[in-house]
Amino acid sequence: MSTKKTTSYVGLGQTPVNRIFSLLKHIDYSIFFIVLCLCFIGLLIIYSTTHMQATEAGSLFYVRRQLIYVLAGIVLCFLVSSIDYHEIEKIATPLYFIAVISLLYVIFFGKTTAGARRWIVIAGFDFQPSEFAKIALICFLANYFYKQREKIPYFIYFSLPFLFTIIPMLLIFRQPDLGSSMVFLAILLCMIFVAGIKWKHIIVMFLIGVASFPILWSFLKDYQKNRLILFINPNLDPLGAGYNVIQSKVAIGSGGLFGQGLFSGIQSQLKFLPAQHTDFVFSVIGEEMGFFGALLLLTLFIFVLWKGIKIAQDAPDLLGTFLATGVVAFLFFHIFINIGMAMGLIPATGLPLSFISYGGTFMISNFIAIGILFSVHIRSIFS
Amino acid sequence: MFNRKNTQITGDFIKKRLNDLFIMIILIFAILLVNLWYLQIIKGHEYEQRAINNCIRSLEEEAPRGEVFDKDENLLITNRPAVNFTVIPAEIEDYHSLSYQISSIIPLEESYLINKFEQLSQRPFQAQTIVRGLEKEQIIAFEEQKYKYKGTLLTIQPERKYLYQDFAAHVLGYVNEISEEELQSSNYQYLSGGDIVGKSGIEKHYDAYLRGKKGSKEVEVDALGREILTLKSVEPVAGNDIYLTLDSELQLYIQELMTGLRGAVMVSEARTGKILAMISQPGYDPNLFNQQISIEKWEEISQSEENILCNRSIQGVYPPGSVFKLITAIAALEEGVVGLNDRVYCPGYFELGNLTFKCWRETGHGTQTFRDAISNSCNVFFYTIGQRLGIDRLNHYATMFGLGEKTAIDLPGELSGLVPSQEWKRRAFNQVWFPGDTINLSIGQGYLLTTPFQIHNMLCIITNDGNVYRQFHVDRIVSQSGQVIRKYEPEIIRKVDVSADTFRVVKEGMKKVVEEGTGFNARVEGVSLAGKTGTAQNPQGENHGWFVGFAPYQNPEICVTVFVEHGGDGSQSAAPIASDIIEHYFRQTSGQAVQLKELQ
Repeated sequence: MSTKKTTSYVGLGQTPVNRIFSLLKHIDYSIFFIVLCLCFIGLLIIYSTTHMQATEAGSLFYVRRQLIYVLAGIVLCFLVSSIDYHEIEKIATPLYFIAVISLLYVIFFGKTTAGARRWIVIAGFDFQPSEFAKIALICFLANYFYKQREKIPYFIYFSLPFLFTIIPMLLIFRQPDLGSSMVFLAILLCMIFVAGIKWKHIIVMFLIGVASFPILWSFLKDYQKNRLILFINPNLDPLGAGYNVIQSKVAIGSGGLFGQGLFSGIQSQLKFLPAQHTDFVFSVIGEEMGFFGALLLLTLFIFVLWKGIKIAQDAPDLLGTFLATGVVAFLFFHIFINIGMAMGLIPATGLPLSFISYGGTFMISNFIAIGILFSVHIRSIFS
Repeated sequence: MFNRKNTQITGDFIKKRLNDLFIMIILIFAILLVNLWYLQIIKGHEYEQRAINNCIRSLEEEAPRGEVFDKDENLLITNRPAVNFTVIPAEIEDYHSLSYQISSIIPLEESYLINKFEQLSQRPFQAQTIVRGLEKEQIIAFEEQKYKYKGTLLTIQPERKYLYQDFAAHVLGYVNEISEEELQSSNYQYLSGGDIVGKSGIEKHYDAYLRGKKGSKEVEVDALGREILTLKSVEPVAGNDIYLTLDSELQLYIQELMTGLRGAVMVSEARTGKILAMISQPGYDPNLFNQQISIEKWEEISQSEENILCNRSIQGVYPPGSVFKLITAIAALEEGVVGLNDRVYCPGYFELGNLTFKCWRETGHGTQTFRDAISNSCNVFFYTIGQRLGIDRLNHYATMFGLGEKTAIDLPGELSGLVPSQEWKRRAFNQVWFPGDTINLSIGQGYLLTTPFQIHNMLCIITNDGNVYRQFHVDRIVSQSGQVIRKYEPEIIRKVDVSADTFRVVKEGMKKVVEEGTGFNARVEGVSLAGKTGTAQNPQGENHGWFVGFAPYQNPEICVTVFVEHGGDGSQSAAPIASDIIEHYFRQTSGQAVQLKELQ
């Protein structure tokens, strides 16, 4: 394994702009194309669920905004991929602290919607710091494991990252956003696993987790507890909290093999599901595009994740490997939780579906994650 | 202690771990896919049936509008439950045949129903009302054959109930479904098609307060449309109640006096601007608009010769005739074109060049002083001083007393009338202002057009020596929790710049009008009052009769304006009615309370 790279790439221009363009030639456009396909499906579904809403801005209001987020995401993705990922060694720690501070800020001064304080308003835009904190954590942990790569198998060196992860996790948990805080844990576990934790430690961790469950339970808000209880038995309260899950299953189920067609899902168009264009977007896909549509979607996701794993394996050094692993974990966990939730396999925690769900900060953080993958990939070509 | 080799991680090891991770990812995706297969393929048909048959309906529950009370807190407008015929467009299989079947139960045109269905299908999953206020027999007929009509249901929604039918109809107004134009307006931002809004009167002007907030309900229904479960329910919030300044007893008394006549009567509290009564005849029953009203019926109402929907007080414009002489008189005194002791000889006519303008008394009034002229309403005197004033000054004073512009009363649809000017005539007719036009204007004829309420407002200004009180109908608005949201206090909105002496002299003249002049028929025993009659010639037919007056003379309590459309001479038609009103008012206030029950 090569440890240090002095980067002098063949054929790079002098000016930053030229540099960016010559680097862009080496981007893995198969990933990029698949991601654009996903965004397109997302836009279709958002249009299908929101075009009936009578907003002042007309039926294209949400679609237009989502399109702007996608374009902004693409630009940021290219920018990030043109940066040498070794810069992360310098910025990982400050990035982490900025993330923690902004999460603290949200807790005290954030904007509240639907009972949760998740937003800060910057220059007129609602901004969700927890999404960027996920990227910051990926960078921070990758850097940590890279620096401590010799010592990972020792208990103390893999337990420290827990501490770093738990701080932003708890802050997000307080917002409250159970789903997002679980994403932090997922990123950490995947990265530790890849970094080489011993199996016996994995077993110990699992036992600690089970033992600490009652303590975590006491931290949960009532509605979160309800969701967990209703996850185990949704029929306890078909009118209230269990309602969404039942109706989501009905929606997906009624899609059948080919779906009921875009814009004509009975359940979806009825607007009985909250957050159809965000958290329950998969229910709409299931109903309107059917099994084949959902299968296509899952295949596209698998492709992106597989490419991510490949990039992690072919990375020029461990920093690249860990970064790519983090990105894969981040994307995967969102996909798994969102779809699992829509099918009633997982408690309804409310996580958006990568590249599909409506939302600016989330879309942009997804594209930044892809940008990091590209950055690692480009350097592996030149190594 | 430990073996360094064992702890060293290698690139191969990490690649293996990454492979393991990917295998886990694939496994989880496989689980998701198997689940999808189970939900969509194995159970798909079942879920589809559930989605179609056990479908969710989202129903709206209309909010009861706020109630309306008179000044003594007697209830005037309330709500009662009515049965509405409601459809969910998406659930209807064939609306042509449905329209055909429905039209046999409810007497509505098939084409009207089809048209309505097409409108409603813009919101296919929303239950929407097609016919309001079904009769008992219709409900029974519908219930008997309910199974035939898929996608339809009867809902119970509040319906506006005007307790005393045509009582104060023009003030209270009526409600009906929101129109397309109203939907576009920002005043009705959160409303959607089929919602009930105020269409005129208090109902419209205070709609935002009265309206309330719709509730919603999501219910799961089976294939027969029976409700199985209520999934979500948001209770509607009733609108705010309104307490009027209206004196129902007086209003009813005047309404009876005016029966059979056309015209308008207004009574205000002199020192506050509170409107105690406002009558426009003929009236109508606002309850009529609760039911679905057919196009023919609507045309019959809105295009009737009687024009019953028009609130003549604020939406009819008429020449004011001699009541305008009060303005001419005030202007003349203020501008010093006539002295109190100046005399003008009235031979029964007035000559201007080769034109002759007649006095209403053909034999003439002889020599007239200022006060005589008001009392006798001598045209020749006012022609003379009007000519001295000229159009510009007449226009200035008329405008100052609120003529030619809206009075800002709290009712919708007010007209502004017209006070002519040289400029206006040039624009309207491309003609210069002739001296003869001034002569006509000086006695309230010619191009001058006013609403009866503007004249009433002018009377109130004179009564209050130039203080312009805001004229209003609503005393307070009270929320359902009993909290007073708005309280309207008497308010002087501006002051007319005319000297107290002028007002004193003009009012003395008005006193003389009733004591010995043209307003003799308005006198009331035991009450001293002052007034002015008017007889307005108009091209449509018989003259309009006017009377304006206030009482008591020394310390005015009420201002009364009576306008009788085509009633003939004001002293014969309007003055006696004013007399009855004033007499009744002062008899009532000195004891004998009349129960509102008698109204019914």
